[in-house]
Amino acid sequence: MNQRLISLMTIAVLVILVALPLVFIVLQAVFPQFSAGSLAGAFSGVGPLFSEPQLAAMFSGTLQIALGVALLSAAIGLPLGVARGLFNVPCPRLWDLLFLIPFLTPPYIAALSWMLVLQTNGYLAQLLGFDLNALLFSKSGIVLVMTLNIFPVVYFAVSRSLLASGQRLALVARVHGATPWRAFLHVTMPMLSPALAAGMLLAFTLAIEEYGVPAALGTRSGVVMLTVGIEKRLADWPVDLPGASMLSLVLVVIALSAWWLQGKLTGGKDVTSVTGKPTENSGATLGVAAVPVVLVMACVGFLAVGVPGLSMAVTGIMSTLSGGLSLANATTSHYAALFAQQGDALTALGTSLSLAFASALVTGFVGLLAAWLVVVQKIKGSRVIDALSLMPAALPSIVVGVGLILLWNRSFWPVSPYNSWAILLLSYCCLLLPWPVRYVGSALRQLGGNLEPAARVHGASAFQALRFIVLPLVFPAMLAAMLMVFAIASRELVTSLLLAPAGTQTVAVFIWRQFEQGSVGQGMAMATLTLVTGLILMLTALAIMQRGTQR
Amino acid sequence: MKARLSVKKGVALAMVLSSVMMSSAHALTVYTAGPGTLAKGLASGFEKKTGVKVDIFQATTGKVMARLEAEQANPQADILISASWDTAEDLHNRGWLLPYQSANAGKVPDTLKSADYIAQGISALGIVWNSKSGTPEPKEWKDLTAPEFKDKVTTPDPALSGASLDLLIGLQNGMGDKAWDLFDALKKNGMVVSGPNAQAVTPVMQGAKAAVFGAVDYVTYGNIEQGESLKVIFPASGTVIAPRPMMILKTTPHEADAKAFIDYVLSPEGQKMVADAWLMPARTDVEAKRPLFTELNVLPTKNDGTSERSDVLKRFNTLFAQ
Repeated sequence: MNQRLISLMTIAVLVILVALPLVFIVLQAVFPQFSAGSLAGAFSGVGPLFSEPQLAAMFSGTLQIALGVALLSAAIGLPLGVARGLFNVPCPRLWDLLFLIPFLTPPYIAALSWMLVLQTNGYLAQLLGFDLNALLFSKSGIVLVMTLNIFPVVYFAVSRSLLASGQRLALVARVHGATPWRAFLHVTMPMLSPALAAGMLLAFTLAIEEYGVPAALGTRSGVVMLTVGIEKRLADWPVDLPGASMLSLVLVVIALSAWWLQGKLTGGKDVTSVTGKPTENSGATLGVAAVPVVLVMACVGFLAVGVPGLSMAVTGIMSTLSGGLSLANATTSHYAALFAQQGDALTALGTSLSLAFASALVTGFVGLLAAWLVVVQKIKGSRVIDALSLMPAALPSIVVGVGLILLWNRSFWPVSPYNSWAILLLSYCCLLLPWPVRYVGSALRQLGGNLEPAARVHGASAFQALRFIVLPLVFPAMLAAMLMVFAIASRELVTSLLLAPAGTQTVAVFIWRQFEQGSVGQGMAMATLTLVTGLILMLTALAIMQRGTQR
Repeated sequence: MKARLSVKKGVALAMVLSSVMMSSAHALTVYTAGPGTLAKGLASGFEKKTGVKVDIFQATTGKVMARLEAEQANPQADILISASWDTAEDLHNRGWLLPYQSANAGKVPDTLKSADYIAQGISALGIVWNSKSGTPEPKEWKDLTAPEFKDKVTTPDPALSGASLDLLIGLQNGMGDKAWDLFDALKKNGMVVSGPNAQAVTPVMQGAKAAVFGAVDYVTYGNIEQGESLKVIFPASGTVIAPRPMMILKTTPHEADAKAFIDYVLSPEGQKMVADAWLMPARTDVEAKRPLFTELNVLPTKNDGTSERSDVLKRFNTLFAQ
């Protein structure tokens, strides 16, 4: 297989996964009659968009919440990331694992868990006698709940960047007489800023595309966000496809503006690129300061993981909600029901896990090819590949869902993945493709430039060089990205709700339906079961990988 | 030559794939609102009896209808079971429905059937009250405007729930403009509008709120059976019922199977399952586990057309958006 064929294949896959759904959204927004097959009345949807009374509220609500989440995520993630990256914190692996758990928990479950804890007569009131009902159902409440789910992206961006760049430059400053504070402020911080900006940008995009939290808390706090507006137009009768497409475009414009702004601010520096080989990291010792640092990290961990997790687990074993917290109210009946219900819960779990596994494989493979073509081969059109493969990071998942419906729910396709599990796989792959592309891309940038040419000189084809030289070297980065894809895909809600065919349920959809029918206990039992299963699978994968490297 | 070979391969692959999809499509597809366990029970009962597999898409009425509409160019559903009688009338007017009179429909009252749709079961709207909330048991809608219920009442969003809108219209028909005084007093007493039915009921279960104004009853009956300290109260001044229409879509390629499914739901066995889901069965000769609508004061929800519905909704939204 030659390089030309590989690049053509990659471009074809990217066009199907990313470009076509986006094109169909734009077409639908421009031509309101597009879904009926007519191109009449171009741009006639623009007027109604601006006369939509809620547009201003949705627009400002989305922006305010997202900015709040980005800033607060930085406020929490930066100090923790610096502590983890610069110092020898006790049990570093444990903290990383702890802050990874929010990725495994669907945000709407976290929101519902917080609701059960904080609302009037919630668990907090039952245990300590006071509640934070007013805080929870307010703009700040939504920002707080979303931040606790999202801040780990800043934490990981900051700590990984510090660990990779090492502290040689800061040490040089110290040798020349700078105080530790001055060295941090003038040397470490500027080196850190691209990673911080990238983390905040990611937090911002994750916040504007979040659907579950505003859907659970928004109505009662009087906050409307674009995602909720799109979902309502799309999934509640009467359907308003042009309106949904228009709002989707507004959302994409916000996301792309944020990207553009971040690019301007950081001067287009590539954040994930690492100059030189990773240095041996010898963090500074904390001494007595270890106690308060560990205390703060534990507190944040308890708030972000402990409280919602406990609330979820406790609700899953409570016989009735009105019974309150008491031993007499404990039951295993919700779990028994999960296993009884004609196997539905377990089928949903199986569906989600296999879809997540398949998405991890597909995105890992396509991501490797895309990153290799862009970074190593530098082929013609590599900019197109780069843009297409990173674009979904700026695309809210609801927009991808809309695009896939518009694209595939047509009678002119002889075979369509719509109404089968394949459409879910397509949507997960599209949404999560940027993770492997970024991880593998930054690993490839660290490779020596002459390994692959050496293979080619000795007669290997481009594909062979990729398979036997490049792949083994970037495999750890690829595996890390695939684990991420697996974690997120196994709990994806928004596109699953829109696209799941009749007779197929994923875990997130199953839980959502349980809540819709008032079976909170069963929903929470399922959520706990999924979290534990996902965690065990990921830990096993990591352990196997570590054993592999030890040999 | 090479290129032609790959084209051939592609065509063959497409044919294999489409045949796989065709064969998997030979199942009955049912789009249904409301209780998922009932839908699954009916599906597996039907499959046991006839050997025909039933694929279920279950969501709220609004979402089911939206999906139906989005798929109109390429319909997927054979049977639709909705929780709102209007949706059936609307689809009937659009000419989407296949006329069918089931042999088992004899015991269903005439008000609950038409040429092309028939009730599966009936639910009613009432006050759902948490008996541990420390508030006096409400007997009437207006009791929820008392100071004891200050900031303690929720209601489902009538924009999301057809049945809630029916209640507004029913109360307006029954009480005239006094109904709006009632809604105004509820608003002043701090009632919050919160999402679909479940989002209004869940806070009442934990005790964050004391009562729901106009909740669908069968969900709560199910919760009570599980031991929640809730009570469903139907005010003597009247409430509305929500018959759940089921219908066959004209585009179905499985007409015989679809008719057999309707027959099965209306059979004594199927209606028993409906009753077990805490709904009122459509057949009068199957026993219910809960009060029947003949024991309630049912307010009329008939109106002149859709304009009145949207007017009432708009007036309610303006009142509660303040």
